[in-house]
Amino acid sequence: MTSRFWKLGMVLMAFVLLPACGQDNGNESRGALLKTTNPSPLSIANGRTSHVEKIRKDISSFPEVYDVAVIKGKKETLVVYKVKHLNRFKMKGIEAKLNKFLEKRYPKENFKVSSDYKIFLEAVRLREDEEKHNLSKKEAEKRFQKIIKLKDETT
Amino acid sequence: MASKQKNLTPQQQNYQQLQQKYELKRPVLKNCIKAFFVGGLICTIGQAISYFYIYFFNFTEQTAGNPTVATMVFFAMLLTGFGVYDRIGQFGGAGSAVPVTGFGNAVISAAIEHRTEGFVLGVGGNMFKLAGSVILFGVFAAFAVALIKTLLGMWGVL
Repeated sequence: MTSRFWKLGMVLMAFVLLPACGQDNGNESRGALLKTTNPSPLSIANGRTSHVEKIRKDISSFPEVYDVAVIKGKKETLVVYKVKHLNRFKMKGIEAKLNKFLEKRYPKENFKVSSDYKIFLEAVRLREDEEKHNLSKKEAEKRFQKIIKLKDETT
Repeated sequence: MASKQKNLTPQQQNYQQLQQKYELKRPVLKNCIKAFFVGGLICTIGQAISYFYIYFFNFTEQTAGNPTVATMVFFAMLLTGFGVYDRIGQFGGAGSAVPVTGFGNAVISAAIEHRTEGFVLGVGGNMFKLAGSVILFGVFAAFAVALIKTLLGMWGVL
């Protein structure tokens, strides 16, 4: 009985641990849900990332937040972040704080702020596809709008 | 407890003392540790399924909970039918009963127990014999929490 449980435990552990031995083929999105990826920011509209990088740095300076992805579209700017584990009890408060900070600091921007893992994953995937497959501006904006729509559905 | 003791005859009291002497002590700490690890393992599997739905399907963190719960309950029902969940329950105790998989186990084990009484009055009538209380108190607890949250929101506390 006990040995059977040990065997079952070993098999489960193998399933959990062995994927870590796989080679990382530069796919950031593959481990984006579990690891810190810190994706570089993306500006679909004009390609200039200095402004978006500044936003990313500002958000990263918050102590409750890690792993920030920022994508700037034609109208909206998407800010997605992961919240540190013990701070996840105060998710709403953190989101409100970030919204207030961004509105004050960048009054002209239209921000969409989210801490959802799916939105983060899609943001990483978009940046990755843009880099690897050279997505056209139109296509990238279309994908970006899909993420915004998904984000709006969750709220 | 003391009043109960008073109502007993001397013979009954003697028997109780004798029974207490030979009663095996329950390994509470060991059971707690087992429950912690079994419950934790079930929750880890649940988390992995949740990530699976987020990664491969169009579910967000908020919406992935529903298919995850459905999948976990379905697996628990299958394992109960195959007789595996009973063994997990014997080993893990509350660790296997408290997560949502315990709900699936409660439904199917009642259905299996009463199948000899027929499909309608046996299986149909008794399927939610155990799980019915989970649903009732779950709905009531959700109602109470929602009421408190609404009132606190109205008073400006939250």
